[in-house]
Amino acid sequence: MDSDPISAVSRAGRLTRRAAIAGLGAGAAGLLLFGPRPRGDVPPGRTVVDYWEKWTGAEGVAMRRLVDEFNAVQDRIHVRYLTIGAIDQKAMIAIAGGSPPDLVGLWNFNLPAYAEAGALMPLDDLAASAGIDPGDYASGIWPMLTHEDRLWGLISTCGSLALYLNLDALSSAGVREHERGPGPQTIEELDRLHERVFAVDAGGRVERVGFIHTDPGWWSWLWGYHFGGRLVTEDGTRATAMSPENEDAYRWVRSYPERYGVDALQQFQSGLGFYGTALHPFLTGQVATTIQGPWLANLIEAYAPGLRYRAVPMPVEASILDPSRPVGLLDGDVLSIPKGAAEPEAAFEFMLWIQDRRRLEALASAHGKSSPLVEATPGFLAGHPNRSIAVHNAVANSERVFHFPRLRVWPRYVAEFDAAVQSLWQLRTTPGVMLGGIERVAQHAIDEAAEIRRRRAAGGAL
Amino acid sequence: MIRGVLRRNAGWVWVSPWIVGLTVFFLIPMAMSLYYSLTDYNMLEAPLRVGLSNYASILRDELFWKAVRNTLVYAGVSIPLTALVSMAIAGLLDVDTRLSGVVRLFVFTPTVVPLVAAAMIWMWLFNSDAGLINAGLGAVGIQGPNWLQQQGWAMAALILMNLWSVGQAVVIYLGALQDIPETLYEAGELDGMGPIRRFVHIALPGIAHAVVFNSIIQTITAWQVFATPFIMTEGGPNRSTYFYSHYLYDNAFLFQRMGYASALGWVQTVLIAACALVPWRFARRLWSTR
Repeated sequence: MDSDPISAVSRAGRLTRRAAIAGLGAGAAGLLLFGPRPRGDVPPGRTVVDYWEKWTGAEGVAMRRLVDEFNAVQDRIHVRYLTIGAIDQKAMIAIAGGSPPDLVGLWNFNLPAYAEAGALMPLDDLAASAGIDPGDYASGIWPMLTHEDRLWGLISTCGSLALYLNLDALSSAGVREHERGPGPQTIEELDRLHERVFAVDAGGRVERVGFIHTDPGWWSWLWGYHFGGRLVTEDGTRATAMSPENEDAYRWVRSYPERYGVDALQQFQSGLGFYGTALHPFLTGQVATTIQGPWLANLIEAYAPGLRYRAVPMPVEASILDPSRPVGLLDGDVLSIPKGAAEPEAAFEFMLWIQDRRRLEALASAHGKSSPLVEATPGFLAGHPNRSIAVHNAVANSERVFHFPRLRVWPRYVAEFDAAVQSLWQLRTTPGVMLGGIERVAQHAIDEAAEIRRRRAAGGAL
Repeated sequence: MIRGVLRRNAGWVWVSPWIVGLTVFFLIPMAMSLYYSLTDYNMLEAPLRVGLSNYASILRDELFWKAVRNTLVYAGVSIPLTALVSMAIAGLLDVDTRLSGVVRLFVFTPTVVPLVAAAMIWMWLFNSDAGLINAGLGAVGIQGPNWLQQQGWAMAALILMNLWSVGQAVVIYLGALQDIPETLYEAGELDGMGPIRRFVHIALPGIAHAVVFNSIIQTITAWQVFATPFIMTEGGPNRSTYFYSHYLYDNAFLFQRMGYASALGWVQTVLIAACALVPWRFARRLWSTR
């Protein structure tokens, strides 16, 4: 027994410290020995390609299936597939940190910013030596992959937008003539269809609309293109939001809350379900027509498999109607090689392997998207989950297909659009004032980016 | 000898993980962000020195002022409101009953619910068509507003939602209230004070330190509010709930203007310090008078 309680406590304290240090040491050693580490499923002797992609769920499974096939059919390269959320931001951080993946699946609108910053590897030489021919792709594809005349990626999947008609909802409103034929082709025809379908309940609350600009509300900036407008000049130096065509387009957008009342439409919108659920308003018939990509077919298949629907090119202002040259946005996912990638050649080999017709179509079909190739095979069209996929292919091949503007400052431009269109929808501004404000902000951003670029080129001189 | 050196420096050894953490994850990033605030930096290219032009641009930036105005409105309403509500709840919980513990648990529980989950729940509660709040208002003959889509009401909705997490403030007020000697209340009662005067003249001075502490914490929290508006309103409608931290985030990660975002971060630090100084100075005056 210790007669001195203080020294006993002190010894006990030393013991505790030793035990703590030993415990920490044992923990650290355990972590080193048994802790997490990269999976050791890479066959020996292979070059490893780290591939970051944004897709989850069925879309991710489809790409993973191709990756597994690639890993199985050859014995030199092993592609390690990793799903990453907010991939553009995380890839940016990884590239900045000097530890990028070998291959990254970006959205096509990311390319200008990444390309101008020199964050991606130009692929012109590799593509030319591999015999990649732009003519093999739908006419809208190549502009998405290039920026300032250089190639920065190859396509993985794409989808153009079209107007979807819920034939059951239209039929219950007595509108049956669009079950066949061209469907509404002009904005005026779409408005007339909407008015026939529009319904309010006994309490005066909006129950159903034929069309509404806020569903799904993902592309607040594109209406001007369906009136012949553009948002930026070809060379990307001038914002052109305030054109008469754009003003007409947003006058059309404003006409809906003007006609039905801001509160009534807001009340209606707040009761609508989210995309990706069975309560999506197109599936429930609350919105009888909606602008969407071909992937909508997967949603219909999952939540309303019996729904009768069809897609037609998004209507345009009557004066620019030309059914042989439909107008529509083409969106796409691209595969790019970041600057500083450890295995660029191996990564490109996988990209090239994906460009095979069978694989591109398999991926497109699983995603419910259009074929990126100039001509889709009959098997692809027949087996596609979207029965209107030919309409999307036609838009992708049209001379008048358009893309996200190829601007480095596009995120600022579109953020301004989103906020301003909300204001317009609440009748707090007019199209002229709104577009003037957007153009001013966008032009300032374009000029600022150009000035910074000029200074960087001049070696940072003030 | 090694043992002697270790014993003499035992304190440093034990705090060294914290010092390393503070240096690596706090001081160095702060210094780097100060440097980046003087550059044009998009993370993909080397920083380009631009002097103070980011700070000058901030002053001319309409969106900056909009975000500051929105944040000030949010802070100006939510801080006093939270203080009042949490004081009131603490006052009620100060009465010991058999269920006190359970009630305290219920009041505190929301603070441990993840913000994203809470935001999703409140989005449904505020749904103008099928939400519980408008259903309740409808039951008493009031037509509820379109909470999250109507300018003005969206801000009100976020301020109301903020009351969901008063638990932490309540616990602090409750602790302070329980520190006030019962004899002071008895003396006040003997002097003829009613409940309101007892609260104003005895309880409030007694919990002044807690009021100051909570005010400073809530000022900092209000200036940093991000997750709930980001999820519930995305800054809308028409940027009426576009707060400072959201604007900073957009600049850093959406617009790839990390240099500008760093400058915004430093301006935010100064603004928070300035706002936190108000309750701090009030408290110092109060304590020096005492």
